Amino acid sequence: MTEVSLRALQKLYGKTLALKGISLDVAHGEFVSLLGPSGCGKSTTLKCIAGFEEVSDGRICFDNKDISRKLPEDRDIGMVFQSYALFPHMTVAQNLAFGLEMRRLSKSVIAERVAKAMEMVQLTPYADRFPKALSGGQQQRVALARALVIEPAILLLDEPLANLDAKLRNEMRGFIRDLQKRVGITTIYVTHDQDEAMTMSDRVVVMFDGEIAQAATPEEVYDRPASERVARFVGNANILELPVMAVRDRAAGGFDLTLPGGTPLHLAAPAPWANGALRVMARPEQISLTDPGFGQLGGRVAKRYFSGGHVEYTIDTDCGPLLVLGPTTQAVHEGDAVGLTFDASRLWPMAPESGAKP
Amino acid sequence: MKRFRSYLLIAPTAALIFLFIVLPYVTVLIMSFRAPADGQPYGEGFSLGGYAQFFGQAYYAWSLPQTILLGMATTLICLVLGYPIALHIATASRKWRGLLYGIVLSPLLIGIVVRSYGWTILLGNSGVINATLRNLGVIDRPLPLMYNNFGVILALAHVFLPFMVLPLLSALQSMDPAIAQAARSLGARRFTIFRRVTFPVSMPGVQAGCILVFVLAISSYVTPALVGGMRVKTTTLLVVDALIDQFQWPFGSAMALVLAVSAGLIVLIFARLTRMKWT
Repeated sequence: MTEVSLRALQKLYGKTLALKGISLDVAHGEFVSLLGPSGCGKSTTLKCIAGFEEVSDGRICFDNKDISRKLPEDRDIGMVFQSYALFPHMTVAQNLAFGLEMRRLSKSVIAERVAKAMEMVQLTPYADRFPKALSGGQQQRVALARALVIEPAILLLDEPLANLDAKLRNEMRGFIRDLQKRVGITTIYVTHDQDEAMTMSDRVVVMFDGEIAQAATPEEVYDRPASERVARFVGNANILELPVMAVRDRAAGGFDLTLPGGTPLHLAAPAPWANGALRVMARPEQISLTDPGFGQLGGRVAKRYFSGGHVEYTIDTDCGPLLVLGPTTQAVHEGDAVGLTFDASRLWPMAPESGAKP
Repeated sequence: MKRFRSYLLIAPTAALIFLFIVLPYVTVLIMSFRAPADGQPYGEGFSLGGYAQFFGQAYYAWSLPQTILLGMATTLICLVLGYPIALHIATASRKWRGLLYGIVLSPLLIGIVVRSYGWTILLGNSGVINATLRNLGVIDRPLPLMYNNFGVILALAHVFLPFMVLPLLSALQSMDPAIAQAARSLGARRFTIFRRVTFPVSMPGVQAGCILVFVLAISSYVTPALVGGMRVKTTTLLVVDALIDQFQWPFGSAMALVLAVSAGLIVLIFARLTRMKWT
């Protein structure tokens, strides 16, 4: 239950700046994900917080105490690694006891806390097994329990689900999130999987090239991404460049845009930079298919993929190909002409990229 | 059918082992029970004479514990010297690793006779070390550096160090670096991590290295012969002496078998004591 704050964190590897000034506050008991492609600096940030990497510049504070120069063993952290990093020569119970032994607790206290922790992750029957005799999911739970049993100030997780199969991964998401809520521990979670970050976190921190691109709730990051790059990284995004016909209020929001073919489209969101044309984002599920001739924009179905719960269409339009999610009940086939309707209330304008990257 | 074909794959190796290991051992076993004779390698009929001679005469019998202690000392020294080397190479950068590897393997690149002779130049009474110390006035009489256990163990440890380092290195390199980090995150300091995590996890390497060095050390001939100058009596030296110089084949075979069985038992006991339930 410790507040973590990063102040202008920089990390230099040789001559490359891997972290270009990361500032972030994580509140007591908050679950924050660091999300980004490989090489964006999310793992480096976590290693700096854990103490395995020394920061080149900036400060890391736990509860307003600067711990930047402390060794990892003195930081009071619980860490879960991608490879689990269980001690192969120790049983489950011995793995859990290790951190408590380092704290020189009495045997009876250790036994009691280990038993409790094993119950918490439902591994009591496996107390005397060696890690090798456990499944991936079970090993994962041992790693989690081993990190939590020492009751650390903060919990750090480095892509802990990356080595599990899809079904188990989904289960573990819920398991970790529930456990974290129950314990109420401040948690920082590193992942490259946007679904994982969205479903588990109180707040998602999207990182690119050693910088924070956006730090906000999952809903905000998805619906109101700070940039086109964020929009494309967290889910699928259709970006349409549309001319502005009228401006009602730049800052508060209110633009009349026009779609090819002349249909007006109202944008309620603010876009202070708007000038002549605006790039707006529409998520695939924010566009619905109607009969040809109806809707706001016409198009033709180029591809249709059935994926169980819904159908994924690629629609060729005068705005380029658009990705659309539709219900499976709709009888639309490849080659059909269709009409498209936008959920105008959720359209979101894209800020111009500062120092635009491809 | 499938099973048969997979057996076919090991057939060449099996044939080699049978021809050059099983058959010779059987021959040696039979020979060790032949009756000794004068003027020829062995006589008519069978007897326990070879074994009786070995265990009956202190001169021969004592060579066995002497050889085993020599082997154990060499093994221990290799382990103590080799572990830090292996640890260092395992954590070294790629660039350094190749060089360090080369240095560790270098003793194997020199022929065994040359290398042992080299040690006699260093350790002899008028050798480099003694001559230097005498000229510096540090000593009056040469230090007894060779023709004794000290010199032999030193030379053996030098030769067999790579056989300790390589298995240790492979054990340490196959260890997930995150394991040590996990131990740190749980509050363990360097020495504790080594004692409670790194060393136990590298145990398969320790086991393999110790067995290799021990077996090689007790069966080595050239180094004890040259550096020990026939004054360090190992069973292996006596075996060669009996077979080639004394022409007593049953006696030599009996000694060879006693040494092999003793070594086998010690390795078995060692493996038992260091058994790992977790692998």
